[in-house]
Amino acid sequence: MDAWKYKPAADQHLPPGDAMRSVRREAGLVSTLTQTAWRAVVRLYLGGYHRLRVEGKENIPAKPPFVMIANHSSHLDALTLATALPWRLRRFAFPIAAGDVFFQTPASTWFSAMMLNALPMWRKQCGSHAMQELRDRLIGESAIYILFPEGTRTRDGKMGPFKPGLGMIVAACDVPVVPCHLDGAFAACPPGTKFPRPAPLRLRIGRPLTFAGVENRREGWKKIGAQLESVVRALGAESQP
Amino acid sequence: MPGIHPVALWIAAAIAVGLAVIPLMLLLLEKTFKLGDKLQVELWMRYKSWLILAPLLVVPLLAGRLWAILSVGILSLLCYREFARATGLFRHRTISAIVALGIVLLTFAVADNWYDFFVALTSLCVSALVIAALLADEPKGYIQRVGLGVFAFLVFGVCLGHFGYFANEERGQAFLLAIMFCVELNDIFAFCTGKLFGRRKLAPKTSPNKTIAGAVGALILTTALFATLMHFIAAGTRIDRPIHLITLGMLLSFTGQCGDLVMSSVKRDLGIKDLGTLLPGHGGLLDRFDSLIFVGPAVLHYLSYFGGISLETPTRIFTGP
Repeated sequence: MDAWKYKPAADQHLPPGDAMRSVRREAGLVSTLTQTAWRAVVRLYLGGYHRLRVEGKENIPAKPPFVMIANHSSHLDALTLATALPWRLRRFAFPIAAGDVFFQTPASTWFSAMMLNALPMWRKQCGSHAMQELRDRLIGESAIYILFPEGTRTRDGKMGPFKPGLGMIVAACDVPVVPCHLDGAFAACPPGTKFPRPAPLRLRIGRPLTFAGVENRREGWKKIGAQLESVVRALGAESQP
Repeated sequence: MPGIHPVALWIAAAIAVGLAVIPLMLLLLEKTFKLGDKLQVELWMRYKSWLILAPLLVVPLLAGRLWAILSVGILSLLCYREFARATGLFRHRTISAIVALGIVLLTFAVADNWYDFFVALTSLCVSALVIAALLADEPKGYIQRVGLGVFAFLVFGVCLGHFGYFANEERGQAFLLAIMFCVELNDIFAFCTGKLFGRRKLAPKTSPNKTIAGAVGALILTTALFATLMHFIAAGTRIDRPIHLITLGMLLSFTGQCGDLVMSSVKRDLGIKDLGTLLPGHGGLLDRFDSLIFVGPAVLHYLSYFGGISLETPTRIFTGP
């Protein structure tokens, strides 16, 4: 009889705090429950308070892995993108969040890990190693990443240039990138807001793109960033009345 | 529950004194022997963990029946969590949820002092696991998934769950504290006598640091200690006879050491060093409480069979007519 094969949790050897901050964190029963509850609340909030409308749901791939990207103007953005996913896909979704904002204190770390299911990106030291870890997890485990290639929220309402970091995750592989444009989030909850205003939100989901033919090198990453930036801008222009 | 049994108070006091004296002993050890930085750091880490753990264990036991049962239930759930994350079973959410629910129901059965339900849960939960594992419609790995789930439920749920039952007994607090105290000392006795006299290995492939001398030393010392404590706790009952007291002590020491070896085997099989990370210096809760798991059933059923405690009264506290 052959021995059984075991696969311990990828964060099994880490102390509790480090495990929550790890990009290899795996959800258990408790976090699955808290995240599901959180998603239900967020869905009600976005639908009721912000009258969220989603267009282009048919463009969402049927199964993971894939990456959802959008313009970034508020803390509502990642919640909105996650809400747009059908229920069966939602537990695969990981918003990629700034480590220095979301994983700084024990309380915010707990919230980001247990409620948002966010994975940290440390902006000051996001070297190729950190990106490789994210890439391995995305492909190896069939995850869905939600990320914002601008790297930060817009301060004036205009979309900034896309950073090439995203390319390091999706270049030279079949993982689709779903470009989205979110309208209204800057009016509802610009950086510095304490209480969001009840401004309506509109999310347009574009057709997925893959970058299997693009080299996984700096030039390739820049090309991916530029192409996605123009696609998201075009989606934004379409959504203007 | 009428008052706190005097033996329970003695043990609690002994633990408090022990925790107060250990730092002095550690300092003395450091002065007298060259302890090596690594060992020194580890000993202090272990001490600090105990400083938090000991009150967490002792206070609920002294606080009353329900608190004791609840804390055993929580310990069971946390031990299961560590096991599930170490084996990868946690990825099978349905199975994991059934094991967790089973442990919650077991805890309820203990709190209700409804032994029939406690017994029924064994077969009911095993059936639920076997059936629920069909839902995935994935025969590959079926036996492993179910096997791990059943193992976890029986070991961390049913076996460990027996502990709560002591709390239903009139002298429950004293029983529980005496068992907890002796099981932990059993480990320490084995370590010390092993270091002093140990030459031949007990089970070199399972746990390379354990020696036969350590096992025998612990068996003798723990038996003496537990028999003495039980003599005072069970004074005037049918258990208070040398043959029963010594048998109980040997049962406790033997099953305690077996628990340790069982979790060592689990760790070796998985190829990991510690089952968790909750207790700095010790590893996980399971690395610390492994020796407790099989003591509960052995001691409880021995006491029940020979009339030391009774599983029959008072029953079905919440659900009874």
